Amino acid sequence: MDFNFQDPFTSIGELLRGLLLGWGLAPGLVSLILMLLGALVLAGFAMTLAGVFLTWLDRKLAARIQDRLGPNRVGPFGIFQPIADAIKLITKEDIIPEGAERAIFKLAPMLAVMSAVGIWAVVPFAPRLIGTDLNVGVLYIVAVGAIGTLSIMMGGMASNNKYAMLGAFRTVAQMVAYEIPMVIALLVPTMLAGTMGVGGIVEAQRGGWFIVLAPVATLLFFVSAMAEAGRAPFDLLEAESEIVAGYNVEYSGMKFGMFYVAEFLHGVTIAALTATLFLGGWLGPGAQQFPLLGLVYFAIKTAFVYLVISLIRFSMPRIRIDHLLAFNWKLLTPLALAAVIVTAIADKLAPALGWNRAVVHLTANILLAWATFEALRAYARGIRQRVEVQPAAVETGGAD
Amino acid sequence: MSEQEQSTVAEPLEVHFPQAVTPDERKGYQGYVVATEALPEVATYARDELGYDYLSSVTGVDYLPEGKTEVVYHAYRTAGGPALVLKVQVPREDPVVPSLVGIYPSADFQEREAWDLLGIRFSGHPNLKRILMWEGFHGHPLRKDYQEVYFEAENKPFKNRWPEGKVYRVEEKAPLKKNVQYPPDFTAEGWVPEGDAALYAGMGQVVAAEGGNGRALNTDQIVVNLGPQHPSTHGVFRLVVTLEGETIVDLEPVMGYLHRNHEKIGERNTFLMNMPYTDRLDYICAMGNNFGYSLAVEKLMGITPPERAEYIRVMMAELTRIVNHLWAIGFLLNDLGAYFTPALYAIEERELVLDVFEAVSGSRMMCNYFRFGGVARDLPEGVLDVVRELVHERLPRKVDELDTYLTHNEIIRARCVGVGVLPPEDAIAYGMAGPVLRASGVPYDVRRADPYSIYDRLDFDVAVRYNGDVYDRYIIRLDEIRQSLRILEQVLRDIPEGEVQTGKPQYQVRVPAGEAYGRVENPKGELGFYVVSNGKPNPWRYHVRAPSFINLTAMGEMCKGQKVADVVAILGSIDIVLGEVDR
Repeated sequence: MDFNFQDPFTSIGELLRGLLLGWGLAPGLVSLILMLLGALVLAGFAMTLAGVFLTWLDRKLAARIQDRLGPNRVGPFGIFQPIADAIKLITKEDIIPEGAERAIFKLAPMLAVMSAVGIWAVVPFAPRLIGTDLNVGVLYIVAVGAIGTLSIMMGGMASNNKYAMLGAFRTVAQMVAYEIPMVIALLVPTMLAGTMGVGGIVEAQRGGWFIVLAPVATLLFFVSAMAEAGRAPFDLLEAESEIVAGYNVEYSGMKFGMFYVAEFLHGVTIAALTATLFLGGWLGPGAQQFPLLGLVYFAIKTAFVYLVISLIRFSMPRIRIDHLLAFNWKLLTPLALAAVIVTAIADKLAPALGWNRAVVHLTANILLAWATFEALRAYARGIRQRVEVQPAAVETGGAD
Repeated sequence: MSEQEQSTVAEPLEVHFPQAVTPDERKGYQGYVVATEALPEVATYARDELGYDYLSSVTGVDYLPEGKTEVVYHAYRTAGGPALVLKVQVPREDPVVPSLVGIYPSADFQEREAWDLLGIRFSGHPNLKRILMWEGFHGHPLRKDYQEVYFEAENKPFKNRWPEGKVYRVEEKAPLKKNVQYPPDFTAEGWVPEGDAALYAGMGQVVAAEGGNGRALNTDQIVVNLGPQHPSTHGVFRLVVTLEGETIVDLEPVMGYLHRNHEKIGERNTFLMNMPYTDRLDYICAMGNNFGYSLAVEKLMGITPPERAEYIRVMMAELTRIVNHLWAIGFLLNDLGAYFTPALYAIEERELVLDVFEAVSGSRMMCNYFRFGGVARDLPEGVLDVVRELVHERLPRKVDELDTYLTHNEIIRARCVGVGVLPPEDAIAYGMAGPVLRASGVPYDVRRADPYSIYDRLDFDVAVRYNGDVYDRYIIRLDEIRQSLRILEQVLRDIPEGEVQTGKPQYQVRVPAGEAYGRVENPKGELGFYVVSNGKPNPWRYHVRAPSFINLTAMGEMCKGQKVADVVAILGSIDIVLGEVDR
């Protein structure tokens, strides 16, 4: 069998399949072994890439933003710092606090990692390089993502610690709330592509990335996914300056390490999803012929989105819980609903008008954004008037 | 109430209370001695009629030879002017003094401190319990007949600390390995710490357990200890908060984890030995602490520093203020959850100022630069140029940078505006000082109200903001940095040549008997030193009026009804340093 450099992943798969069949194994067993091997490679790849390289990049970037040097001792430019950290975490004492729900306490970090890695099963890294192209991929993403929420709640409630408990309180309020605009925003690419399969959504972006067709939905998804993952400025569940470390305050050793990795992977997952669903995934010049090139495009897009997340994280103070919820229920959720309606109408209108589809969608989105800003401006004006009528009164909190 | 009204309407204390109030006629002393039972009446009159609305300092002195304990009150007018010093003398066997908490809420923590350290009981105090020492401590360490266990006790429990040349610490032989004295019937096994139970008892827990909070949704309240180990308490400090979900129902600060009885150690040191020791109070502003202490002792000695030394002092004090405010702003942002970025930018220039401190004093933070009647040594060559560059170039740029990036940030405004509001009358009543007081709309600055050193001839404005919330406390710090830069420009322009020390530098100063209260406008507020000398080489009483400590009095009031996240922001906006709170 000659090796096909244009499609290496399929070739490798065929090569292995031939080899295993040659050993005389049953075809069903061979398929199972190959699937397990694929999962291992995927998870290992995710762990290594995110756990080592991106952590290092993240810390270097943070250091540069903050006028520091960052890790620079372990290996060239400190690139092996995450490995040293992992060794440290593994060798640390593993403590389970008195009065903790032991089973739940142990299960929580595993679930956290599971949910973050699990999403990667439906992410197309390159043409034909996808764990499984589920036809309800988007639904799967939402469902598996919710397990992460569950794990944080479990960790917080099982720790027998009040800070952890407060973190769990916040989880319930914040994550459950932000799932709604995220799910609704996910409807937009689904509608545009006409499929819930993630592979199909990428394919559907050949005519134009969905960030062009649906900028409002992109932003909505990005923001609410960031809140879902608890990234700053929405990191209330582990607000260091308020509730110490929130849900993971009692975790030590590798259990803490798993939470750390899970949180990190969650960040990468958001970046990957944003890249896949709105930035065209692996699409790019020549990607169809050379799938490896698609992988590179995908990695670049993911890294770009991830760095934007990091930039926001290192330059913003934290939002307060009531502002956070007000922001969600009063702005994001209605806007997401409006975005879905606008997309639906524009999609039907485009062929009827005979214009280019992208132009119609973009115009609709710009109109929507303009209307939102006008509504916000009117709202702010109302507050200002209220304050000016009673100069002594000071506006307290609320969604301003 | 204007000055004229006061002088026409109100008659002086000794005229209005001919029986109860007599001037203090001891040599070197000032103020009035008030009869114990008349104190609340006199204090009310002083506050309402004479306008002394700001009770700065409450402390006690144990006069063992006379057999008396004296409580000393320093009250000021927020309109400015010198102090009204009231004293109450009670027998030291059973010192009971009426509490002034009802008249001046700022007496709250200070009376608790006086009870804790001097054993003076304040009748009518709502919450008279130990504040710096722990519950269950035996004795009152600042009383002159208190002997430190093992070290000062007459009967040494262990004969020899160096048996056969082996050195061990006496604590190692003590049953519980701590330097404590136990009541006779004490058993370690049967001991139940009463402190926390007593602390929690009054905090609404009981109400919740007995059948809800009266609202439709029946929810439980939880008590959370923010601290002693907590990233945002800026040290070992604890806030006991009762929470209803995320909302604060009640809050009580608990302190003393860093207590080392600064004042007791200060009374053992000679006068000059205390100078480096004041550095350790508010370790961010060592120069300011030096300033306050040297003012107090110079008052006693009756000397004034030469002109050049005055300018150098003011220069150092204002540089300290800038350093402190940059630090405070940076870490307020950290408390708001901005992951270290603003803090690191804010303290970038601090390092350059600390280089100046190192050049003049030899140390970045523990400067120990001031001496009685001057400063330790003259400025080294080139320092003035460095300061000039800082003042004219780098620092104004830094302030503008912070202003640009932070002041109009949407999240910062949402988190800070209207949070932790303290109305002006409350701010005065609680004895708040410094930026916290001025952010509440009270333009009270010791540099203007009761000028010391050369501040009376410098041209600057007292920064003031009117909303009294966290946001104004942030903005006012930027304002104050700008005013400090103005002062520094004038100092750099006018600094004369000449001596920096009156007389010869001395290791042992002679301080005549008497009392003095020296106060400066430290970056965190009014820092006062109450020093009593009896002519011996070391002070008889050495008391620190710590602004961070007294500013915490209003903490509970400001936090009620706010969210958990606001507590750290409010604490950050008060800007405490635990070295000073716990002393």
